[in-house]
Amino acid sequence: MRFTMRGKFFPQAAVVAVLACALPAAGWSQVDTGQDKAIPPSKVERLNRAPVSKEILKVTLPRPVETTLPNGIRVLILEDHRFPLAAVEFDIDGAGQMYEPANLPGLAVTTARMLDQGTKTRTSKQIAEQIDSLGASLSASSGFGSGSTSLFASGLSDTFDQWFALASEVLLHPSFPADELAQYRSRAKPALLQQRAQPGFLAFQTMSRALYGTYPAAVVSSTPESLDAVTPELLANWHDAHYAPQNTVLAISGDVHADALIAKLRQSLAEWKRSKETVKLQPAPPPATQTKVFLVDRPGSVQTTLLMGNLAIDRTNPDYPALVVLNEVLGAGSASRLFLNLREEKGYTYGVYSSVTARKYAGPWTAGGDLRTEVTGGAMTEFLRELNRIRDEKVPDDEMDAAKRTVVASFALSLESPQQLIGYAITRKAYNFPADYWDKYPAQITAVTADDVQRVAKKYINPATMQLVAVGDAEKIKSVLEKYGPVEMVDASGKPAAEPAKSPGGNSQ
Amino acid sequence: MKRFLFHWVAAAALSLCIAGGVASAPQQIAPAQAAVVPKVQIPIQQFTLENGLRVVLSEDHAAPTVSLCITFDVGSRNELAGHTGFAHLFEHMMFQGSQNVGKGEHLILVRVNGGDVNGTTTQDSTNYFERVPANQLDMALFLESDRMRALRINQANLDNQRNTVQEERRLRIDNQAYGKTYEIVDGLAYDSFAYKHSAMGSMDDLNAASLEDVASFFKTYYAPNNAVLTLVGDFKTPEALAKIKKYFEDIPSQPAPPAVDVAEPARTAQRRLQVEDSFAKLPRLDIVYKTVPGNTPDWYALDMLGDILFGGTSSRLYQLLVKEKAVALQVGGGIAERRGPSLFQAIALMKPGQDAGEVETLINEEFERVKKDGVTQAEMDKVRIQDRLAQAAGLTGTLNRARTMGRDAVYFHDPGLINTALVNYSEVTAADIQRVARQYLGAEQSTVVLTVPKAQPPPTQEGPREKQ
Repeated sequence: MRFTMRGKFFPQAAVVAVLACALPAAGWSQVDTGQDKAIPPSKVERLNRAPVSKEILKVTLPRPVETTLPNGIRVLILEDHRFPLAAVEFDIDGAGQMYEPANLPGLAVTTARMLDQGTKTRTSKQIAEQIDSLGASLSASSGFGSGSTSLFASGLSDTFDQWFALASEVLLHPSFPADELAQYRSRAKPALLQQRAQPGFLAFQTMSRALYGTYPAAVVSSTPESLDAVTPELLANWHDAHYAPQNTVLAISGDVHADALIAKLRQSLAEWKRSKETVKLQPAPPPATQTKVFLVDRPGSVQTTLLMGNLAIDRTNPDYPALVVLNEVLGAGSASRLFLNLREEKGYTYGVYSSVTARKYAGPWTAGGDLRTEVTGGAMTEFLRELNRIRDEKVPDDEMDAAKRTVVASFALSLESPQQLIGYAITRKAYNFPADYWDKYPAQITAVTADDVQRVAKKYINPATMQLVAVGDAEKIKSVLEKYGPVEMVDASGKPAAEPAKSPGGNSQ
Repeated sequence: MKRFLFHWVAAAALSLCIAGGVASAPQQIAPAQAAVVPKVQIPIQQFTLENGLRVVLSEDHAAPTVSLCITFDVGSRNELAGHTGFAHLFEHMMFQGSQNVGKGEHLILVRVNGGDVNGTTTQDSTNYFERVPANQLDMALFLESDRMRALRINQANLDNQRNTVQEERRLRIDNQAYGKTYEIVDGLAYDSFAYKHSAMGSMDDLNAASLEDVASFFKTYYAPNNAVLTLVGDFKTPEALAKIKKYFEDIPSQPAPPAVDVAEPARTAQRRLQVEDSFAKLPRLDIVYKTVPGNTPDWYALDMLGDILFGGTSSRLYQLLVKEKAVALQVGGGIAERRGPSLFQAIALMKPGQDAGEVETLINEEFERVKKDGVTQAEMDKVRIQDRLAQAAGLTGTLNRARTMGRDAVYFHDPGLINTALVNYSEVTAADIQRVARQYLGAEQSTVVLTVPKAQPPPTQEGPREKQ
């Protein structure tokens, strides 16, 4: 369709993305969303001749209408009548991968993906046909590392009631047909193979295991064995036990009318009965205290994918604002130190970034990127230089101001997107933050000092204890990595691998 | 408006029916009729400055933001042999500083003020854009005008960005499963050099790019008369226009660049190729047909055909290949939009060991069914409502609008297409769709590329193995 922007550097990408996006994606969510692929400076030079308004546009984020239904569903509705569109997200805490039994990795994900594959009254084909015919779309997902499962639906607002009813039906009355499950299994197993061809996934998988050990967040995908083991009964049992209204946030944005809609929701969702299920997550393990180096061999790789990091904080930790600012200085975007150094000055890479992930349990800070094989050693030197610099030296005032302004000023832009606004509200609900949390957030960021940044840098960002993962051509980079510690070879399934790879057969599965 | 109200009421009754657990036949949900006239229209005003710069303004006061996009009428199609990748390399150079903007300052200023910024290069155009809070409009105009007027070009920046672009090539193409397939498909399907070669360019050509090349490229293609400026968001048109004149109107125009020949000779025989991919784990089949330029009646018919065959999980080929026959993990396709002959594509990511010939036959049989029996009224209704959804979704976000209008202004001299394309779709009939299938999807017009995982050497019992 011509209305959506097509591929960036390749027009075909629009079509091909249909394939790539549907494969399980990997990656931690990042604190900072300003990830652009942009094309910045060499050595930065500020001429300060451009007319810049010093004023940071103060905006008040609109608050959605909130209510709680009798069965415990917390409803958020943000009206926006600019376009004849609406979007819905059911966010069901306790139904995510973090609560799965250890012997069935991916059970929550498979359950979510199977929701629209049949209900008591409709086949998967009928559901697909009806959703498409209403000018809508529907998808359910449960991310690895997430405690929740989400059902998304969106479409034209004039058919809202019809597609919302279908979304509710697949959420509440999935039938998990055995033949559809068999089909899903036959697609999901080869997809695991393809996933392991992606260096980014291999790095993420290896790092997750290094950081989390036996904690559920170490799980990043299903396995062929777990896909074989799931049955319609197991899915139905998981659904019955873990899809509970009292643990659900329902967020609706767009061209809807809150009062009338709430009245309808009270009726249409009343059949979803409250259960006794409560959600309680075990805390994550402590950060690693000793550096380990992991190498995934990918023979023939022309780049090395580097990923380093360690566990840091959960989302409610008071150090969060300081780490957001730290991340902005260090590597969140194209004006950050890592990018300017390794890309713009050294020309090692198309892009290097850092991230800080904070969720209901402690997530990691990470830094990394894809660099051409020959400069793996040089890149490590620069990564370590930047990690040490942010610990050892106070961030200069102008850099602090720029980083804080970057975070705060972006609020004006979020007013364009009702879905981003409601995303803020979902976060607030998920962590039980106060109603004025986002109103006060800019002030929290502005209050962060250079001393704060250095304090959290010293507390969390430590090259002497971080975990280091490399995915690349082992023959060429193993000796480089040995400078940073004993290198453990890992195979594509994440298991310890036999020593060096003298053949391209290093990827098991 | 009445028709929408009607659907709302009818739908509400149905919703209660389903929620109450009453078994309801699927047929009860009737597709809403597509509106021929788009419900949403955005205001557009067009101007041309004395130096030839085309200006498109669209006010939207819903949020305190503005999006600025400069689209230049140059893409990889303008490149000559030996200079592939140049348009894209040049795009990187545009962020390396200009007379009054330091290296990197453009990006830093936009980001520090909360904005988004990027540039993209395609075969058919190159654009540069930023979305900023409304009070930074002057900053955005200053930054874009300064580099259009006086880009700073030197060897250090060129060398640095050449490295960056080569890393981008490694990241996106050389180190990715199926990364090279896109280049191979274009290279085999097209005859004219304009579309045959890769926008990313070859490593050799990138290495050969000189400072003189860069300077001459800038002068020829980055002139105001070869560009369109689109601005969308929270401004008042007279004030914004005055500012645009202030920043841009004194930039001198240049002679028009040489025309590009994208004409393709008629094809008489199918082209086929099998390629090995070191990183792919699953076989992939690409079938493409060279068709018509974008924004033509047949292009719209082919786009709707693509949606019937590939759009969504209810589409014919998803249901056939992924569900019914269970031979593919994913299937995608449809028509790309180019200023010249566009490719209609079918792509299937197949299961391991799947016979690609069987999948190719299934796809061809489905194409033949369309040629023989046409498409159904239900399929037409479905695609029309999806078009309406896409039109509305494509209007959300000021940056999206600025980019789309800039592209349409450069491609088709019609920035208002964002409002009127839906009418073009509505004029396509089921008979048109059957006709374009017959006309363009002939075997002799097709290019078939099969990408297979590179064979692994058989495992040996012990000892070192040969490295490839």
